[in-house]
Amino acid sequence: MKNASNKYLIAALLIGLAFHGTSIFFTLETTYDALIHLFFADHYANSWFEPWNYKWYTGFTVMSYPPLVHQSIAALSFIGGLKFGLFSVALIGIILFITGVYRFSLLITSNRTVAGYAAILAVFSSSFVETLHIFGQLPSIIGISVLMHALPEIYNWLKTGRWRYLATSLSLIAVTVTSHHVTPIFGMVFFIFPLIGMVIMDHAKEQVSSLKAVTIKVFISSFFKLLKRIVGFGFSSLFIIIVCILPYWINSKNNPITQVPIPHGSRDNFLEITSSGLVFFLIPWGILLILLPYIFYRFYSKRYLFFGLSITILFILGTGGTTPIPRMVLGETAFNILTLDRFTLWASIMSLPLFGEFTYRFAEGDLKTLIQSKLGAVYHRIAGGVLAGLFLFMTIFTMSLGYFKPSQPQKIKMLPIINFLNQDQHDQWRYMTLGFGDQMAWLAAQTNALSVDGNYHSARRLPELTTRPIERLENSKFKGVEGIGSLQQFLTTPEKYNLKYIFSNDKFYDPILYFCGWQRLRQLENGIMVWEKLNVPPLSSILPKEDVSRWQKLLWGIVPFLTVLIAFLLNVQSVLVSSLKTKVTSLPEYFNFKNDYSKFSRGLLRISHVWSVIMAIIILIGIYQFYIKNESHHSPKNAILAYYDALDFKEFEKAFSLINPESDMSIAQYMLQVSVTDGLLSSYAKLDAISTEIISETEDLASVKVTTDWITPLEKINKIYYRTLVKVDGKWYLQPEEITADLPPDQLYASNKTAYFNQGRRRITTEQTYHEDVLKQPVLEILSAKLVKADQSYAIVGEIQNIDNVPADVVLKGTLYNDADKMLATYNAKYHVKHKLMPKEVSAFRINFEGIAWSKTKDSIPKTFNPDEFTPIELDEQPTKFNLQAAGNVSGSDLFKNTTVSISDLNNETISGYLFNSGTEEVTIPQLLVSYYDENKELMWVDHMFVKDGIRQQRTQAFKYQLQTNSVLTINDDMSNCYVNGLPNTSISDKIVSDRITDHSKETLQSIEHPNFKYLKLEVNSYIGNPN
Amino acid sequence: MSYKSIYISIILAVLLVSGFSMKQDTKNSSYTLISTTSTYTAGDMVSLDFNFEGSADVFMYCSNSYGSVIIQPTVGNTLKFEIPKSITDKSGTINWELHATSKLSSGQILIQPKSEINKLETYIGPPSIEAGGTDYTMLVAIPTDELDNPLVDSTKVVVKHQFLDDHKDDDIYTKHGFTYKNLFSYEQTGRMLINSESLDLNSKEFDVNVVPAIPTNFTISADRIHNYADGNQITTFRTSVIKDRYNNTVSDGTFVSFIIINSDGNIEETSGATIDGIATAKLLHPDHEEQWAIKAYIEGMANSETINIKFEQAVTDFEVSFSDSNRMITVGPLQSFMDQYIPDGLRVVLTITKDGAIENQIIEQSVDGYVKFILNKDRYTKGQYDLKIEAAGITKSFENTSYE
Repeated sequence: MKNASNKYLIAALLIGLAFHGTSIFFTLETTYDALIHLFFADHYANSWFEPWNYKWYTGFTVMSYPPLVHQSIAALSFIGGLKFGLFSVALIGIILFITGVYRFSLLITSNRTVAGYAAILAVFSSSFVETLHIFGQLPSIIGISVLMHALPEIYNWLKTGRWRYLATSLSLIAVTVTSHHVTPIFGMVFFIFPLIGMVIMDHAKEQVSSLKAVTIKVFISSFFKLLKRIVGFGFSSLFIIIVCILPYWINSKNNPITQVPIPHGSRDNFLEITSSGLVFFLIPWGILLILLPYIFYRFYSKRYLFFGLSITILFILGTGGTTPIPRMVLGETAFNILTLDRFTLWASIMSLPLFGEFTYRFAEGDLKTLIQSKLGAVYHRIAGGVLAGLFLFMTIFTMSLGYFKPSQPQKIKMLPIINFLNQDQHDQWRYMTLGFGDQMAWLAAQTNALSVDGNYHSARRLPELTTRPIERLENSKFKGVEGIGSLQQFLTTPEKYNLKYIFSNDKFYDPILYFCGWQRLRQLENGIMVWEKLNVPPLSSILPKEDVSRWQKLLWGIVPFLTVLIAFLLNVQSVLVSSLKTKVTSLPEYFNFKNDYSKFSRGLLRISHVWSVIMAIIILIGIYQFYIKNESHHSPKNAILAYYDALDFKEFEKAFSLINPESDMSIAQYMLQVSVTDGLLSSYAKLDAISTEIISETEDLASVKVTTDWITPLEKINKIYYRTLVKVDGKWYLQPEEITADLPPDQLYASNKTAYFNQGRRRITTEQTYHEDVLKQPVLEILSAKLVKADQSYAIVGEIQNIDNVPADVVLKGTLYNDADKMLATYNAKYHVKHKLMPKEVSAFRINFEGIAWSKTKDSIPKTFNPDEFTPIELDEQPTKFNLQAAGNVSGSDLFKNTTVSISDLNNETISGYLFNSGTEEVTIPQLLVSYYDENKELMWVDHMFVKDGIRQQRTQAFKYQLQTNSVLTINDDMSNCYVNGLPNTSISDKIVSDRITDHSKETLQSIEHPNFKYLKLEVNSYIGNPN
Repeated sequence: MSYKSIYISIILAVLLVSGFSMKQDTKNSSYTLISTTSTYTAGDMVSLDFNFEGSADVFMYCSNSYGSVIIQPTVGNTLKFEIPKSITDKSGTINWELHATSKLSSGQILIQPKSEINKLETYIGPPSIEAGGTDYTMLVAIPTDELDNPLVDSTKVVVKHQFLDDHKDDDIYTKHGFTYKNLFSYEQTGRMLINSESLDLNSKEFDVNVVPAIPTNFTISADRIHNYADGNQITTFRTSVIKDRYNNTVSDGTFVSFIIINSDGNIEETSGATIDGIATAKLLHPDHEEQWAIKAYIEGMANSETINIKFEQAVTDFEVSFSDSNRMITVGPLQSFMDQYIPDGLRVVLTITKDGAIENQIIEQSVDGYVKFILNKDRYTKGQYDLKIEAAGITKSFENTSYE
């Protein structure tokens, strides 16, 4: 026994490497964090000593995360590429974790067999599987593993006072801190403090020879005897923690996290949001939940008392927002910054030695004897089978989460995007990705181009990003108003960020891109749509950066590897000796404190049984509740919820299964109906909230009022449906709805149109485009422009015409000044303009001056979603003048102008009418631009409305528009500061349209009965979602 | 490790060495320029020789429009300063100054460009101009020698251009190194091809498009299948070929908006873009008797005369029947001008009023000549309702319909 290799440990290592080592190739790249670490590694691989990274967030410093893991991947990438480095480091992490658990268990239990059991269990423990295969938190895993390796050394130092142990323990602490900063800090509190307590307890026991005899007095006297070592260790490890990643601490102090906290599932109330409860509580605890009585009983025994306290705190902190305690303990700030799932992870890891101990006693120890004698051998076997089954179920279930509920979009082939960015100097501008998930980090690692967005939210710098709780713009649709609100500011004023290209993997964002003035460039062969914005200047060749002093760069680049080297040199001898058995070594100190595994407490067995029954009941109730909630035919409410949920996720077959089977609707007919409806609501809406109100219900008939809130990229839509349900064979079904029956007159029709193609550069060359190949900017004319004030917010309204002979993309930029010519605000026209104009076409426009939403932390962020949310800019002074810059660029895309508008009825509140599509494309989202005029037919205000449904070819779509009620005050209508393509507007209009017929615009207005306005005009802007 | 001491010792060493080398005194020395040539051609070797007495420890500071340089002399019987090629390759003035501790003398050398042309740099813009003779494009030509110096002023450049049947040559002369020519547009549209030539060297071909000027008034016409207001057929509006004032057809894609004012004074708008000068726009027939006044505009520039067209009522009357204790309302048959059932999609509007307040407005479209409304008893509870049914401009009211 003394000198034999531990078969269990070797088995654990073999199984662990085979199991995790093969599965990481299918899981790691789709985890949340792994690709971010890969991006950091790419940074070190390219510039080891330069911490400034330009690629994300207009530049950030990598000194905001401990570098060891990233540098290791980077170093390995020189051998076999970044992914080779990633997987190699992951394999090292797996080995470190299994051996770490072994050593920690050995320390706690002083029993090789028990520690061997613990190591095997660690391989399959659901918390480890989740952290590695779902979250991909490599630094965290390596940090905690090395910390576990450090614990026996710390014990030995405190117990024996041999300097060698102090050196080894400090060297391991250093490795821990350079791989993960949070682990040693909290590890100090939750692992090392209880360990110190245990050492003192052991020391005291030696004084009095029996654990029972240890009194508080004896304990305190032991404490004072060991105080020197404890304090010595404490201060030197504190020193190590600070010095090893000193640049990190300096950076944290200089750039404190002033951001609005980002919601994290681990802070949710797990009972309310059950998905968070599953991921952050049930899975990491797994089968340990059943063993809780045993774990607490053992940890609250005298020797482990401090571990008992520690695991209790960890357990409670890990419950997140379920109880108010974590918030009280940590304080508001720490609670909102920390992700609390790490506490559960640590608690589950801390439980592993005892889990091993339990298994040992159950499989071959006193517990087996007890159960067999009291309850019989069959019971023991069944119980063992059930426990083992549950344990494996949790492991497989956790592993499968990433498969059945993927956290990431499908894997995207990056090569076409990288090629696109490399060609034609496209990397001279910043880009942004939409709907890539964490794969954006992998793209960023592979290209030299810079992105506005980024995936490491602690490093965000732009106020547009830090003032809202969004991790990244890339997935802004999941972040409601804050997300889309942020995104649309970037889309409206992309010049500010030199943002020219957007790679969209999600059709959801198409409308907002179109209406912000972006145009589709082309679809890459991997299916990613490239959107481009015209009139954006390229990046300057020198970009700003925050430099740090040279010693910081050197320390950051050298120390992490140095810590590994030192730790290796200090520990290699004892590791080699103990594993190769070259000589007989004395047993570590903690082997003197063996546990007695001969008499399992009967009371504990009884309590464990009771607890298991309680757990079983809770689980059964949970499953029943889940069934009742999700059985779609169970009640009218369930049927409605399931139906709209299916529609939301475009699961039309499931939706059809909820339609009354006795109605004569076939699935083919249903699918046809669904597929012909296009538009904002049917193609771009996500169901945000749904509530049902049962108006009447009889035995087998119910009518329900369904109130739905839909999020679209453009605005929030509230829609009320009245649905009738019937009960057929004991199941509730919805009655089908009517469909429109409009029959267009033509079966086949021809339509001619002018198409344009811009060659770009006529010669294939990497040089700058030839001078003569640069297209002339189309000439625009600003027909009218004025600064107006409505409801405390300022806007520039006016009309612009393309007076050239080629179609133009229009960018309008307004700037406000006060009397002293001080610039107050600047913004671009967003929705209130037709961004693409045919030759001689006119568009009304309005420029809103939007502030950075919620830039003051005291502004409460609205809970409800409203993508159309508008935050007027706060101006310190009165704007009195304005400057308007119009820029035209030749564009041949999005020139569909075949939507006609007819007013059929109007009163002083609403206008109703219909739109008719006479073209050959289906209009996905029609937008009405409504201009209001005063009695002198002077333009006063411009408003807009998105019509919820699309218009198919040769069909009509009714609309109803609510007239504005606000009054508008003209502040300044002096057009002397209006410029087109950098030239004064007047000189252009005098030259090209010198004898303009001004009556035209006045003849075409619709008169209205309205207190503030006398005339109005309607224009249509049509978004084509799927151009033929 | 003290870097400080290393730095100090280096500085001391430098000071000492320079002190030794400075021992000669230039105050009592004299320097006279021997070279007499002051004009050279670019690319020539240029050197300045000085007779001197006393110290040879002097240097020359040379500058031209490209930059400055310090030259050390070759010391023999004379002091010889060779001005580097990077300076003498550029035409223009070279200023030189002879320095010891202070300025001793100074002078100028003029470098002339070579007389042989190597390249004719030509730029032109804008690439498109408006017809009519007021808009122009500017051609800039810079004849240069092989060292990229502009040739001497008054070098002749011939600007040649072709437009339709015209060929024209213009002689222009360089001034300040370059020359330019404004080429004005013609009254016709088309493409102008341009070339320039100097000292038998030709530039490549440039082209400038002459595009139409702003459009002038035009006429419009309407074309339809029949003149009944069936709410289904489509009327097509066309313009005549739209020309600018020089009789050029306007460029393709010119946007024409058609404003239709109906008999209620409400506006309908459709639009078209021109192809070969003709814009086409479409609009759906009204579903009731109607008179349209149509006028087309190219805003601020041109318009048509107003034309009027009339639509006759297609559906003259329809029936409304109630069933299922008034909860099912059937409208129809809706018959068109030949008594055929109206094509699917005619809008029928049911307005439900209770106690003077509008309860709801339901719009349905006809299928096979009929429209059915079903009033849900949960939505419309027991009571008296006023019902109004509108279709094809005909309104039928049913007051105080009672519901159980």
